[in-house]
Amino acid sequence: MQIVLRRIIQLIFVLAGICIVTFLLVHMVPGDPARVIAGDRASPETIEAIRQRFGLDRPLWQQFVTYAGNLFAGDIGQSMRYKRPVVALIGQYIWPTLFLTGYVICLAVPPSVALAIASARRPGSLADQLIRCIGIAGMAIPVFWLGIMMSRFFGVGLGWFPVSGYGKTFADHLHHLFLPALSTAIWMVPVLVQSLRAALIEKAAADFVVAARAQGAGEREIFWRTVLPNAMLPTLNLFGVLVAFLIGGTIIVETVYAVPGLGTLMVNSLLARDYQVVQGLTLMFAVTTVAVTFVVDLVSAAIDPRARL
Amino acid sequence: MSIEAVPASDPIKQAAVVLPWSIVVAGSIVGLWIILALFAPVVAPYDPTAVDIANALKAPSVAHWFGTDQVGRDVLSRVIHGARIDLLMCLAGVLPPLLIGTTVGLLSGYYGGTVDTLLMRLYDLTAAFPFFVLVLAIVGVLGPGLLNFFIALAVVGWVTYARLVRAEVMAIRDSEYVQAAQCLGYSDRVVLLRHVLPNAFGPVVAYAVSDAVLVMLAGASFGFLGMGAQPPLAEWGVMISDGSRYIRQAWWICTFPGLAAISLGLGLAFLGDGLGQLRRGQVSA
Amino acid sequence: MNGPLAPSVMAGRPLLDIADVSVTFGNTRVLKNVSFQIMPGEIVGIAGESGSGKSTICRAAMGLLPSTAEVTGEVCFDDQALQGLGEAEWMKLRGRDMAMIFQNPASHLNPLQKVGKQIAQPMIRHLGLSGSEARERAVKLLEDVGIREPAMRAKSYPHELSGGMKQRVMIAAAISCAPRLLIADEPTTALDVTVQAKILELLKDLNRQRGLAIALISHDLGVLADICSRIIVMRHGQIVEQGEAGQIIDAPQHPYTRLLVDSQPGRKQFKAGWAQTEETPLLQVEGLRVLFPAKRDIVDIFRNRKAMPFAALDGVDLAVSAGETVGIVGESGSGKSTLARTIIRQNRAASGTVKLGGRPIERLAGRELLELRRRVQMVFQNPYDSLNPRMTALETIAEPIWRHGMADRREALNQASKLLDMVELPAALGERKPRQLSGGQCQRVGIARALALQPQVLIADEITSALDVTTQAQILELLARLRRERALTLIYISHDLSVVSSFCQRVYVFRSGRIVEQGAAAKVLTNPQEAYTQELVASLHRLPGHVVERENIER
Repeated sequence: MQIVLRRIIQLIFVLAGICIVTFLLVHMVPGDPARVIAGDRASPETIEAIRQRFGLDRPLWQQFVTYAGNLFAGDIGQSMRYKRPVVALIGQYIWPTLFLTGYVICLAVPPSVALAIASARRPGSLADQLIRCIGIAGMAIPVFWLGIMMSRFFGVGLGWFPVSGYGKTFADHLHHLFLPALSTAIWMVPVLVQSLRAALIEKAAADFVVAARAQGAGEREIFWRTVLPNAMLPTLNLFGVLVAFLIGGTIIVETVYAVPGLGTLMVNSLLARDYQVVQGLTLMFAVTTVAVTFVVDLVSAAIDPRARL
Repeated sequence: MSIEAVPASDPIKQAAVVLPWSIVVAGSIVGLWIILALFAPVVAPYDPTAVDIANALKAPSVAHWFGTDQVGRDVLSRVIHGARIDLLMCLAGVLPPLLIGTTVGLLSGYYGGTVDTLLMRLYDLTAAFPFFVLVLAIVGVLGPGLLNFFIALAVVGWVTYARLVRAEVMAIRDSEYVQAAQCLGYSDRVVLLRHVLPNAFGPVVAYAVSDAVLVMLAGASFGFLGMGAQPPLAEWGVMISDGSRYIRQAWWICTFPGLAAISLGLGLAFLGDGLGQLRRGQVSA
Repeated sequence: MNGPLAPSVMAGRPLLDIADVSVTFGNTRVLKNVSFQIMPGEIVGIAGESGSGKSTICRAAMGLLPSTAEVTGEVCFDDQALQGLGEAEWMKLRGRDMAMIFQNPASHLNPLQKVGKQIAQPMIRHLGLSGSEARERAVKLLEDVGIREPAMRAKSYPHELSGGMKQRVMIAAAISCAPRLLIADEPTTALDVTVQAKILELLKDLNRQRGLAIALISHDLGVLADICSRIIVMRHGQIVEQGEAGQIIDAPQHPYTRLLVDSQPGRKQFKAGWAQTEETPLLQVEGLRVLFPAKRDIVDIFRNRKAMPFAALDGVDLAVSAGETVGIVGESGSGKSTLARTIIRQNRAASGTVKLGGRPIERLAGRELLELRRRVQMVFQNPYDSLNPRMTALETIAEPIWRHGMADRREALNQASKLLDMVELPAALGERKPRQLSGGQCQRVGIARALALQPQVLIADEITSALDVTTQAQILELLARLRRERALTLIYISHDLSVVSSFCQRVYVFRSGRIVEQGAAAKVLTNPQEAYTQELVASLHRLPGHVVERENIER
């Protein structure tokens, strides 16, 4: 359990770092921070009120203490535009994003695994070459463009799917978010396939596979019991990175399809210079990524005896 | 310990080597875009910013191969001029992080110590933020625009390069030819620049090329979101964003810049992959 | 001294019959018309250097070559033709009737499974045992292969075991279904010599007790001569000679076999033109302690755990006179390389001192440090890793000359080509980069580079351990000539006691950072005093006739 303790301590340090970075983010803005936070059209009274509220005339470290204290109390700021706490905003906008994320994973993971296995079963075959090329090519597709094209073709053209919004019922969500989820999935599949394929091929050529073969194990048994578990480890570690990727992807796709999710909120707040919301969202996205990475580390420690030391 | 060369792993290696033509094709695509960008004013049939309301939203024709946009500008000319911006984004988005990251990674990997520990913590911290979110937040706070986009990329991106170089350098630092160089009394500068860096640089180049794809797409996305290049400028992402509003009546405005971005992206991606293969092939040969 | 085989077994049907087998990969033919037989219950050695095809033939017999390999000829196991067997038929045979163990046990065990389970698997597969029965037997097998506390060890993961234990686990899994043939592909090469001796002893026991036929593949003729009844010598994918072990060793017919036998470490006593001088030693090491800090992470700091530094060298005293060749022997982790690194100032001493010509080297800086660099040079272990892959051989050799200002760059290249000639490399190779050179050639370039500054003291750290025996013999020959011509003081570091004692005048035996024994090379080899040295000497696989030859020299 040493590893858990170690990871938790590391986690605390990283979280502290995240707080500092997000705090500094707003203070990096050129000009008077009070004016920046208040927005362009704010009256001098509002600006003064803000200065008072955030104590912007105090030294930086005191401000940070206030900020960190607020974070502990669950207060990550106030939206200037919506006049509501950021936490409440996130609570409102998070569901479409969560739904979309889950949807993308459901659409992306099964074909990725299937393609990677098909590719790695016979490395160098025509199918493998093709899948590999798709993997590289996938990197080059701008996801927002793909979104626009698909909404034009399947939405506007064929009328199969709505081109914006989120809907009301579960079935509605599935229907509304299909195109956004598909465009993100198309963009994610190549990344997944590439790494999984590489891991599978590397492990399939490993010495312990030759040894298993020499002990009379069949190819099927070798693949499922030896190659796959060993290839899972590097892929698992990629998961944290992928979640970070996915967050970036959904920000763009939500904007394209006008999904009322966190991505849309982020972009709109940026354009409206609603910095407290930007700050809060950045903090939340970072904490999410760190949390996923933490869980992944624990899971791989559970699978891999070498990581348990 | 005499290790016999058992040919058991050979077929895998052979399979991994992509046909050499891919690198040629990819290289020519990228080369073509570079030439188009350099000679854009000569090649482009129209002025990319010339407004001609009378000819707005015209479908592709002999006069306008790619059609015209909502204010009658020639899409083909704008795509060609857009290559300048998007290639510039690749360069200005990749080079500064590469230079900073390589320098820091080289020094911290070779000397280790406190600087190295700090660097690793900094890496952990940067890796905690989704790349896109952090760049977006920084650009948003600094204000939309290309320059701020490059600044944000440099601030966030160098850490990845530093880590990559550091890992290579740490492996090379322990190699016997570096020990030999130290034992022969060469100065640190000579050891670093002549013996360590040239051997650590291969993976960086391969990564930089694939990073260029990432940066170009991110740049276009920023243009699309209104956070990168600003509207009158002919940038593919901005053009797609403009065109998306007219997608129902004029599909061509956002289709062609998208295809342009894909072709450049494909060229760079396969070039990066090819270079990586070539390097690995050389090492194992 | 020869193998344990009774000649009567030789009659009867062969267990494994390989007839006229050739293997081609693409356009390269790696095996050419190989034919040999293995009788039930015998131990056959297959000797050869890298690239000889000795591993390929055994993998061909097990059907383990990749699908790109084209195999012609006939392989019969117990009268059953193995050509064209389907996967299902191979599965019945592999691990059941014929089993295999490999050179590097660490990479051949599945890192995610407990070793008990890995040993149990073939039994579940072939003998139809239940999981719990198989695991019980696995514990018994672990005991049979000499692992203490087998029940506990069965629950270990591979990374928790030492190299020797991992190889025992591999052997346990291989013999679990009582196969009739065991193919052992360099099973002891990655192990320390004392461990190697024990594994070979185990194989011999298995052969005697279970009538297990063994095909032992090795580059080390000494090992083969020790336990095999017959030896097959391979080169460039062909069999050059096969016969009774004694006959191959004592009366080799083929010139290559003769070369191989003569190249065995310790076969030749190198003459050293050295006379004891009365002056103070050139190099003195006094009470040297080198510590490596233990890594202390954040949890340890919180629990207030102290970091216990690891002593790689713990109070070492030694002295080397000018013109002398001193050997340092020890197994991995004994601190012998740390000593070399400390003398060239790559490590710092925690206490104690290294003196060159009476002056401590620890404080040297600037000009004086450069002076030290010129006087003490080193040749490294791994021929490919010790040369910058981006520089040609000539550039590598010339660089120290002009960097030290001993000549301009053009003149340095001239001198470098002379050095190339001195290490007996053709001038044409000077333009090549390391990957276009063979291991032995790289090592010669490394020697030339070290000698470019005309040092007094040359440290050779395991310089032949990555090379084939014949190449090793040539490199030793070269080094012997150079030390004579240049009056070099040599510190020769090796794990191989027989090489060291044939090449050096005095020997220091290292173990766990301390010197356990020292003295004249011949004396240490023939009359070791300490238990550890005796064990080292006993684990040497000397070719028959060797000792006699040595004693002649002594008189």
